[in-house]
Amino acid sequence: MSTGTHERRSAPQPSSSQGRVLVAKLGLDGHDVGAKFVSRLLRDNGYEVVYLGIRNTAEAVARAVVDEDVDVVGLSMLSGSHLALVTRVFALLEAEDDDIPPVVVGGVIPTEDHEPLKAMGVRAVFTAGTPVADMIEVIADLVAERRRTGLQ
Amino acid sequence: MTGSRDDGTDDVVREARATWEKKTLEPACRRFDLERPVDRFYGPDDVPDFDFLRDVGFPGEYPFTSGPYPTQPFAAGSRGTGLIPQAKGLARAGRYSGYGTAENTAAYYAQMIADGQRAGPNVAFDLPTQCGYDSDDTHAVGEVGRAGVAIDSFEDFRTLYEPFQGELEIDKVGSNWTINAPATIIVAMYYLLAQERGVDVTRLRGTPQNDILKEFIARGTYILPPGPSMRMVRDLFTFSVTHLPKLNVVSGGGYHMREAGATRELDLGFSMANGITYLRTGVEAGLDVDVLAPRMTFNAFGGSLDLFREVALQRAARRMWAKIVRDRFGSEKERSWVLRQPNGAHMGYYNATVNRPVNNLTRAVVGGIASAMSGYGPNVEPPFDEALGLGWSREGMQMSEDAARILQYEARLTEVRDPLAGSYYVESLTDETEAAALDVVEKVESYGGSVGAIEAGYMQEAVSRSAVERTMALQTGERLVVGVNAFTTPDEIEVSVQQTSAKVYGDDEMRGAEELQIRKLTDLRRRRDGQEVARTLRSLESVAKDENRNVMESIIDCVRASCTVGEICGALRGVFGEYREDRTLVG
Repeated sequence: MSTGTHERRSAPQPSSSQGRVLVAKLGLDGHDVGAKFVSRLLRDNGYEVVYLGIRNTAEAVARAVVDEDVDVVGLSMLSGSHLALVTRVFALLEAEDDDIPPVVVGGVIPTEDHEPLKAMGVRAVFTAGTPVADMIEVIADLVAERRRTGLQ
Repeated sequence: MTGSRDDGTDDVVREARATWEKKTLEPACRRFDLERPVDRFYGPDDVPDFDFLRDVGFPGEYPFTSGPYPTQPFAAGSRGTGLIPQAKGLARAGRYSGYGTAENTAAYYAQMIADGQRAGPNVAFDLPTQCGYDSDDTHAVGEVGRAGVAIDSFEDFRTLYEPFQGELEIDKVGSNWTINAPATIIVAMYYLLAQERGVDVTRLRGTPQNDILKEFIARGTYILPPGPSMRMVRDLFTFSVTHLPKLNVVSGGGYHMREAGATRELDLGFSMANGITYLRTGVEAGLDVDVLAPRMTFNAFGGSLDLFREVALQRAARRMWAKIVRDRFGSEKERSWVLRQPNGAHMGYYNATVNRPVNNLTRAVVGGIASAMSGYGPNVEPPFDEALGLGWSREGMQMSEDAARILQYEARLTEVRDPLAGSYYVESLTDETEAAALDVVEKVESYGGSVGAIEAGYMQEAVSRSAVERTMALQTGERLVVGVNAFTTPDEIEVSVQQTSAKVYGDDEMRGAEELQIRKLTDLRRRRDGQEVARTLRSLESVAKDENRNVMESIIDCVRASCTVGEICGALRGVFGEYREDRTLVG
């Protein structure tokens, strides 16, 4: 993580961690290496990680997002089901709450699907080609943004 | 060399090595400014106990290090074959495929047959089917027909097999089903299909993956807890061996665990340990080891670019399995000791990169060379576009098939068996790999076998830990991947991988599958005899509750009554409960 990101965030923080991130495998595919690695990486960078494991329905994820009061939501999918499942997660979250934390998506996501995901409200899409430093920086920015807007 | 050497040769060589190191090697290191050499030369002193007949032997004979069969014909790149051994008299399943609805996949199979495929189907099921959910289940949203074909009922299964009739009737081709937790249901469907077509069920050849243990460790498509899952495995074993004597009963393997992060040692050790657990399960159910073992197969081990170590892994695997079946289970028939698997060494699909994707062809060729050197076809897999998440293009598939053809017909790699036999280096690696994997086997056995080790979380945690370590090594630069964390430039060339020809699977069909399957299910539920459905499901529940009974006949009754995959699995969930993985992060 760049130090610049640290300095920019001067607002008082609700917890001592860098931020609270929910990481979940959404859908039925069991490829969890990426999700586990990202969780570990975030934890090593000072984040608090709520890891939901594999085989979560959109309902289970939406419930956890509401219950866990996280700063950022990270969803991992490698089976090609991302458009349908992410649409459903947003629909459930919007029905629940108008203050949805930023959602990022990772996995095997073809380039042609990045824009449709962002149009739904996904803030960033990470694939196997994303440099780790870039991902951490995006998460830090999203946490900072969340905490700024949360204080207003 | 025909036996171990006790003539003092080793001492002479060891002494000569010491002299060489001092006189020749050290000055060279100084000249290159190296603290120690970056490579190593192996000699007979590295395998002092090597005994050719004991450790290697002839191909097709114990301990099978040099090959499972005395000779093996290959036809690299036969169209649509999945590049596995093809020869007269071999019944084989084709390339792993399936998507959308049963109708979509049947049309795809019909096209492959029109293009010359003579093999049976190698069915990829979608994730809801693999996890025992119907297409209209909440858990199935977005996944129907994605990773494979959706099979909700016997009607879908019947449709799937429509292209396989006449010359390709199901007693003439082999089938492969990548199905684990619901393997009993798929075998029940095949059994009923044969009966319906008037085909002699004793002639059916096929392989249900049925390797539920690795699902807990790596792949994640489990349904029931480990104990009851093994009850299903047991029931499938005993039913198959009696009624479907030519059907394989399990296709185990370490490759899925390797993909999920297992090291080479864990890959091999866990595969062997799982194999022991399956054999023990069958033997404890009263099966003769020499009836069961020849029906057990492995799909694949390994997966890396580390050519020599991957070849050593394959050699060690054959030797270990032979020893396990012979010595631990007292098997008397040499045929039972053969490690049967269609694939040898390979690059590992997880090593395919999104960055500079055409490099994946180079990687796959290294895997193909390793495959040939490990005693299998020179399979160049996967196609270079694997990691892009777009499905394989026809160009990608043709390039991979052509590469295999080049390795066979131009590089002539298939004209020799075990070319690395007797290499001091490879024999030494083979011994090391076997010893390390054996430690892993004993560790699993200390939990009473794989079920105990899974219940204790040992196997899952070991894989998780090494998965994170493997990925971390990429971050620290300890592991270099060209174009990913090494040799990149600020101005990466946009390598064009335009998929100019038609995709193998239709996008519209895949997207429309969920709606079509739901419509078919609604229609089926309206048409079928509801009382018969309820009766057969109740009967299954009561049989499942009695540990001493076999669920297979009840499942066949359910399938015949048009119960869905989700309903049958639901009945079993009701009896045994559902497995949820422990979500603790390790590392």
